[in-house]
Amino acid sequence: MNEKQKRIRNFSIIAHIDHGKSTLADRILEYSEAVTKREMEEQLLDNMDLERERGITIKARAVRINYKHKDGQEYILNLIDTPGHVDFNYEVSRSLNACEGALLVVDSTQGIEAQTLANAYLAVDCDLEIVPVINKIDLPSADVDRVRNEIEDVIGIVAEDCPAVSAKVGLNIDQVLDAIVEKIPCPQGDENAPLKCLIFDSHYNSYLGVVVYVRVMDGTLKAGDRIRLMSTGAKYEVVEVGHLSAFGLEKADSISAGEVGYITASIKTVSETRVGDTVTNDENPTSEPLKGFKEALPMVFSGIYPADGARYNDLRDALEKLKLNDAALSFEPETSIALGFGFRCGFLGLLHMEIIQERLEREFNLDLITTAPSVIYKIEKTNGEIIYVDNPSNYPSPDTISVAYEPTVKTSIITPTEFVGGIMDLCQDRRGIFKDMKYLDSQRVELHYIMPLNEIVYDFFDALKSRSKGYASLDYELAGYEPSNLVKLDFLLNGEIVDALTFIVHSDKAYARARRIAEKLKDNISRQLFEIPIQAAIGSKVIARETVRALRKDVLAKCYGGDITRKKKLLEKQKEGKKKMRRLGSVEVTPEAFMAVLKLGDDEK
Amino acid sequence: MRALGLYIHIPFCKQKCNYCDFYSLGGCEKSTIEEYIDCLCKQIEKEQEEYKDYTVDTIFLGGGTPSLVAPKDVKKLFAQIYKCFKVERCAEISIEINPGTVDEEKLKAYKSVGINRISIGLQSTSNKDLKALGRIHTYEVFLETYKQIRNMGFENVSVDLMYGLPDQKTADFLNILEQVSDFQPEHISAYCLKIEENTPFGRIKDTLSLPTDEEEYETYLALCSFLEKKGYLQYEISNFSKAGFRSKHNLKYWLGEEYLGLGPDAHSFIGGKRFSYLPSLEKYISFPSKEYDKSDSILSAEDEYLMLRLRLSDGVDSRAFYLKFGKELTKTYPNIEKFIKSGHILADNGIYKLSTEGLFVSNYILTELFDI
Repeated sequence: MNEKQKRIRNFSIIAHIDHGKSTLADRILEYSEAVTKREMEEQLLDNMDLERERGITIKARAVRINYKHKDGQEYILNLIDTPGHVDFNYEVSRSLNACEGALLVVDSTQGIEAQTLANAYLAVDCDLEIVPVINKIDLPSADVDRVRNEIEDVIGIVAEDCPAVSAKVGLNIDQVLDAIVEKIPCPQGDENAPLKCLIFDSHYNSYLGVVVYVRVMDGTLKAGDRIRLMSTGAKYEVVEVGHLSAFGLEKADSISAGEVGYITASIKTVSETRVGDTVTNDENPTSEPLKGFKEALPMVFSGIYPADGARYNDLRDALEKLKLNDAALSFEPETSIALGFGFRCGFLGLLHMEIIQERLEREFNLDLITTAPSVIYKIEKTNGEIIYVDNPSNYPSPDTISVAYEPTVKTSIITPTEFVGGIMDLCQDRRGIFKDMKYLDSQRVELHYIMPLNEIVYDFFDALKSRSKGYASLDYELAGYEPSNLVKLDFLLNGEIVDALTFIVHSDKAYARARRIAEKLKDNISRQLFEIPIQAAIGSKVIARETVRALRKDVLAKCYGGDITRKKKLLEKQKEGKKKMRRLGSVEVTPEAFMAVLKLGDDEK
Repeated sequence: MRALGLYIHIPFCKQKCNYCDFYSLGGCEKSTIEEYIDCLCKQIEKEQEEYKDYTVDTIFLGGGTPSLVAPKDVKKLFAQIYKCFKVERCAEISIEINPGTVDEEKLKAYKSVGINRISIGLQSTSNKDLKALGRIHTYEVFLETYKQIRNMGFENVSVDLMYGLPDQKTADFLNILEQVSDFQPEHISAYCLKIEENTPFGRIKDTLSLPTDEEEYETYLALCSFLEKKGYLQYEISNFSKAGFRSKHNLKYWLGEEYLGLGPDAHSFIGGKRFSYLPSLEKYISFPSKEYDKSDSILSAEDEYLMLRLRLSDGVDSRAFYLKFGKELTKTYPNIEKFIKSGHILADNGIYKLSTEGLFVSNYILTELFDI
C-alpha cells in the first residue's frame, strides 16, 4: 500500500432526520478549511432547494477534504453524504459500502431514534467502524450521559470517549476530525489489481452528461480507459476522472484504489449508471463484481395528472428531466376518465413520492392532481395466470381471482413509553401483526410489527406522528407478499364511477373507509344546481351513500354603483376557479376535493 | 345630450349598524358635515366643465344617512347642483333617510329643492330585530316618520327591508311584509342579510343563528310571490315596485348607463370607464383624486352586460345584444341552453331572463355562462 492510501479516510455521516447531520458536515468542511465561512452557504452538501427547506438530504453527495492532523501529516478525508430517509435505504447502504467508517450522529436531547438504529445496523452490516458523535450539547435539555449509555446499551458500541459536540455553534469539531483520523481505518485495495469501482451516486449535468460518483476499490482509472458496467455490460470510454471538492469537480490524471472520485464518459442517463453497480476495465476486467447490487424497485405508485390538461406534455418533459437524475423514479402514461391524460409513477416510498411531486410543482411550475398512493398487488387468477396490479382501476373482477396477495413490511417504531398504547392501537387498526417490543431505556420503547404496505402508504406516518405528539419515529423494509382478503372500492358521483378515486382495501376496512371518504367528498364537492348522490360500491353493491344538496343561494343581493366593481371581482374569481375544475360526467370537482379525500387524517375509527 | 345620473354620498351616521360595511363615519360633529357640504359644492363647480354636455335626469343622495344634513346645507348643495349642471325638469331626485332623523323643516327643505322620492331604511318591523341590527330607531318611530312624509305630500316612497336575519323564520318575514304593504309604499327593496368581514356581525358570525341557504331561498320565494299578490312587481333581484315606480337612478347601474358619484367611496361609470374616490373623508376633503378601476378584467364587456342585465326581470333582449356587440347571444353563451332546460333561465321570443329560482343562484349561473 502506498503512503497516500494510508492517509485516506472514507467516511459517512448517518443520523436520524433532524439530528444535525448536515450541520455537522458543514462544520467539518469549515474546520478543515475546505471552505471558508464566507464561502459557505448554509449546508453546502444539500444543494437542492427542497433539501435545504426540508432539512433532509435526498441525494448523496461526496466531498474531499484535506486535513492536517496533529501528528503533522496531511490526510485526505472523503465525506460521503447519505440520504437521511427510510425510502433511500438502498442508496444509504451503497454509500456506506464506499466507506470504512461512519459517524453516527445522535441528538443529545432526543437519543436514539428509529432511523439511528436502522442506519447503525446498515453500517454494522457493511463492517464499518462506527464513531458515535453526540450532537446539540449546547441545548439546555441535552443529556449527554444518558445518550452515551443508550448508544452502548442499544447499539452495543463503545461511546465512553466519543466526541460530544455542538455542530450549530462549532464546539469540539476538532475532536470529530481527530476521531476520523484515529479510529477509522485506511482503505484496503490494490492499485495494481484489475479495476473495481463502486458506483454510489450519479447525477446528470447538461455539459458533461452523467457524472458517476465512485469509490475505487482496486486498480487505477484514467481518461481514455475503456470501462464496462458489470450489471448491464454497457461499455464507455472515460472522458475525464477527478476528485470531488467542496466547490465541484476537480479534474485529475487518475484515481486509484482507496480514492473517491468521479468519472465522465458521455453517458446519457443516470439509469445506465445504477447505484451499487461495479465499474471495471473492459480490457483487463475483474473476475467478480462487488456484492450487493440490486435495482432500486418502486414500492409506491400514484397517478400524476396535470391540473390543466393542456400541460400534459410539460408534465412528461418534467418527469423525463427528473428521471435523468433519479433512476428510482418510474413512470408510464395512463388515462383516467376523470383526470384525463397523466402518468402512473412509481416511487421508492412516500417521501420519495412527495419530493417528486413537490419538485414537479416547484421547479416546473405545474399544478398537479395526484391519486391516492397504491402498492403493487399480486393476483393469482383462477386460470393460473399471475398478474401484478399497480393501478387500482385495473384490479380484476373478484370472480377471476383465486388468491390476492399484498406486500408487507417489517416496521420498527421507536416511541416514548407514554404513547405505546395509542401506537399499538393504531398498528392493530392498520392490520399490523405484533412481533416484539423492546425497552431501549426506561423511557423509550422499540416496537416491531409486520404490516401491510398499503396501510403504511395510507396516511400511517401522519397518524403515528399525531398519536405521539411527533415523537415516534418509523422505519420499514419490504417483507414479502402475503395472501389477503382485498376488495376494490369504487366511488360514484351522480351514478358514474370516478376511476381516479378507486382503491384497493382490506374487506374488513371497506365499510368504515367508504363512509369516511363519502363524507369527505360531500364536504369537498361544491354544490351545484342539482342534487349529487355520492356512492361507494364494491362491485354493484353500494356500501355507503351521501348527498351533496342542490345549491339554492349564490347571489349578490345588493348591487349598486360601487358594488358593481365588487361583483365583477367576485365573478372573476369564480371564473378563475372554474378553470381548474374537473368535469366528471355532469359533476364538477375541484382538484382540492381530490386531495382532501386522499388525506383522511387520524380520525378514522 | 347625454343623460347622467348624479350620486352624492353622505358618509355620516349617528352610529354604524352592526351589518354595514359601507363607507360611513359614526357620530360626526355638525361642523364636519358643513365642511363636507362646502367641499362637495367646490367639487361640483370643478366638474361643471367636464359634464356640460350632459343632462342630469336622476339625482340620488345616498349614505350613510343623508337625512343628517341640515336643511340649510341641503339647500346650499342643491343650489350648487342646479347652478352647475343641467337638470331635467322631471328628474327623479331621491334621498335616503333613517326613521327619526327628519322633521317638518327638513322635509320642507327637501320639497323646496325638488326631492321627489324618499327611501326609508326600515329593515324590520320587529323592535327586537332592529336592536340586534344596531338600528337607531324603533318601528313606532318609523311609523311617525312615514306619516310625516306622507303628510308633506311625498308620493314616491320606498321602504328598505332585510331578511335572513338571525333567528328569523320565513313566517316572521311574511308578517313584516304584511305590515309594510298595508301602508302602501310605492316601492320596496328587500335584501338578504350578508355578513361582511369587517363589521360587528362579521366578528361574531359564528355565534349568530342565521338561517340556512335553503331557508333563505324559501323566504325569497315567499317574498316574491307575496309582493306580486300585493301588486308590487319585481324588477330586480331585490327590488319591487308599484307600476311606474321603479327607481330610475338605480336602474342606471344595471342598464349600463352613465352616472357620476361624488364623495368618498362614490363610484362612477362614465364613457365606459369605472372610477371611484378613495374611502376616506379626510383625503376627499383635502384632495379628491379619482381611482380608475384598472384591474385587468377577465370579464369581457359582454360578460359585464350580461351580469348586470340578468339582475333585471326584463332580462336580456338578444336583438339589443346583437345591436350592441354584433354577436349572437346564444352563440356567445351556449350554456344558456342548459339553463333553459333546467328552468333557471326563461326564454321568450328572444328575451332571456332568470327565473325566481335562477335569480337566487345568479352568480353560479353567470360563471357557468362565462365558462366556454
